[in-house]
Amino acid sequence: MSEPLLSVRDLKTQFFTEDGTVRAVDGISFDVHEGEIVGLVGESGAGKSVATSSILRLVDSPGEIVGGEIEFKGETIFGLEEGDDGELRPRDEMLTEEEMRKRIRGREIAIIFQDPMESLNPVFTVGGQLREFIEINRDLGAEEAKEEAIDMLREVGIPAPESRYDEYPHQFSGGMRQRVLIAMALACQPDLIIADEPTTALDVTVEGEILEMVTELQDKYDTSFIWVTHDMSVVAEICDRVNVMYLGEIIEQAEVDDLFHDTKHPYTSALLDSMPRPDRTVDELRPIQGVMPEAIDPPAGCRFHSRCPEAREVCREVHPEPRELSDEGEAPHTAACVKHDAFGVGYDESPPIETEATGGFSAGFTETGGEAE
Amino acid sequence: MSLLRYTLRRFAQAIPVLIGIVTITFFLANQIPGDPVDIMLGPTPAQEQVEAIRARYGLDRPIHVRYFAYLSSVATGDLGLSIYYDRPVLEMIILRLPVTLLLMLSAFAFAIITAIPLGVISAKRRNEPADHVSRIISLIGVSTPSFWIGLVLIIVFAFYLGWFPARGLVLPWADPTNVRGAATQFQVIRQSMHHLFLPMIGLGTLQMAQITRIERSSMVDSLQGEYVKLARAYGVPESTIVRKHAFQVAQLPVITIIGLGLSTALGGAVLTETVFGIQGMGRLIITAINNQDYQLIMGTTLVFGFVYVVGVIITDITYSYLDPRVTYGDE
Repeated sequence: MSEPLLSVRDLKTQFFTEDGTVRAVDGISFDVHEGEIVGLVGESGAGKSVATSSILRLVDSPGEIVGGEIEFKGETIFGLEEGDDGELRPRDEMLTEEEMRKRIRGREIAIIFQDPMESLNPVFTVGGQLREFIEINRDLGAEEAKEEAIDMLREVGIPAPESRYDEYPHQFSGGMRQRVLIAMALACQPDLIIADEPTTALDVTVEGEILEMVTELQDKYDTSFIWVTHDMSVVAEICDRVNVMYLGEIIEQAEVDDLFHDTKHPYTSALLDSMPRPDRTVDELRPIQGVMPEAIDPPAGCRFHSRCPEAREVCREVHPEPRELSDEGEAPHTAACVKHDAFGVGYDESPPIETEATGGFSAGFTETGGEAE
Repeated sequence: MSLLRYTLRRFAQAIPVLIGIVTITFFLANQIPGDPVDIMLGPTPAQEQVEAIRARYGLDRPIHVRYFAYLSSVATGDLGLSIYYDRPVLEMIILRLPVTLLLMLSAFAFAIITAIPLGVISAKRRNEPADHVSRIISLIGVSTPSFWIGLVLIIVFAFYLGWFPARGLVLPWADPTNVRGAATQFQVIRQSMHHLFLPMIGLGTLQMAQITRIERSSMVDSLQGEYVKLARAYGVPESTIVRKHAFQVAQLPVITIIGLGLSTALGGAVLTETVFGIQGMGRLIITAINNQDYQLIMGTTLVFGFVYVVGVIITDITYSYLDPRVTYGDE
């Protein structure tokens, strides 16, 4: 495969709070290739949004990227090296804050936020905001930028864009505002768009329209996407490849079909089982037991073991790094779960443990539904 | 058009408020023991003299008759006759109101010009030294009474340093021939500014402190807004974000505080004028109360109420100008 557009290696972002260090993103690696829609999936608090703001180097204080590497089109967005004094320091080729602002943000990597109601500035016209971003990121004059803005509003399906250009955000519905945010991202003609749960705040019919529109526009402009979501049905709809995150780590990485039909990690299975489907009744829904532990003090061993229906003693002790589990000739598929033979840590011999999911030893033996066979 | 209609409607709505003010002041003033005639004529007046004066000012009529008579004369723009000054109340007010308005205007100009940058810097450099300094200044400002600030200013800058005059005020529109040491209008204005400086700070400090505090907290909120994150993610320079994106949204509560500050500043003007010996509305109202000059008490209170109402209306209009979500209420 060709050079990836974006390559994230072992990225670590931490928040230094009074209660302790929150390891929001704890060593994730993934690539985005040209023209691809890559999913980043997980529950709330898994670290998805922190991961995406790290890519733009816009992590709010007290958060900080503490390690790893982010390369974009051969440029170093983030990278550390050991200095003469043994301390880590930014590498020389790492883009400065000024370069990030002028060359990357908006221009190369654009973002669509989750909340269309809050993301637009209430005191400026929709068109004015769109025009400002186009002017900054495409070096166009005010007039050209305005024309471009109106064209873009039309492109994302806003009726009568000439007159709506001068309206304020509160005169737009939620779905329309999200279209405006998408227009902003596309209008800057970036190579990569990060969509941070852009349809979560919308109702389902609008969500469907937006997804359809994005798929169409993605074909047309050939932009790559990182699509952040907690919704597996959205993943199935639009993603090419998927990264599943749990508590700051990517625990499974696969092409979308493989992920759904050859699930390798119990957490992914649990996510899929908790998804309402037309062919199943409510009784058959299996929500994931318990809540995600705090990222301040993540559980030892596998971070999912406290909620995993397949957890065994060994899961408490061994922290699995993601491993390649696909057979030769197949698309890459990695997962971080010791139940696979490739890990060879004696999972099969290890006794099951009591977890929130198994509810005890006896239940643990019969409860095998986590696997999506 | 809708703006004009809105303003007219707001003024119409203010009429009951003003009637309320007149009513309350009227009965309160008349509740004070004694009456202006006692004060005028001293401890042992002749009975005929008292009655003659009472009759002249209409004080011999029953209170409800006087009340309705006053209401109807106010409605025609006649505020009655001041007993103490023996001149029409309206005339006294027209003489004094510009002085107080000048003082308030300069105090607010001082407050706004210093407070807004201070608040913005404070918010931008939150929890840094600049923020601490600005917060300490504003904390001191809100907790120090304006007359005390006035006295300290006089002691330091007028008495010890002699930089500014301690008392009196030269009006900028005064005729140069009547002003000592001034030959041209420009020199009059310079003298006026010189005189205004200390009272302006004395009266404006509280406003400055309040505006700084609200500006800071409002900007802190606004700088954390999603729209600010969006602007950052699209490479908008930080200075533009602060000056444009965050600033305009943050001004709504600031405008409210400035509008409400008008009423506190009117109260403060009374004290400041007393401290600095300025012949404005504040002094007028104190003289009126001290002499139980009913007509003057009611006239000045009514004007204060009116200024306050105008302040609120201006606030509302500014609001709808700044925030497109606020409309003039037209369906």
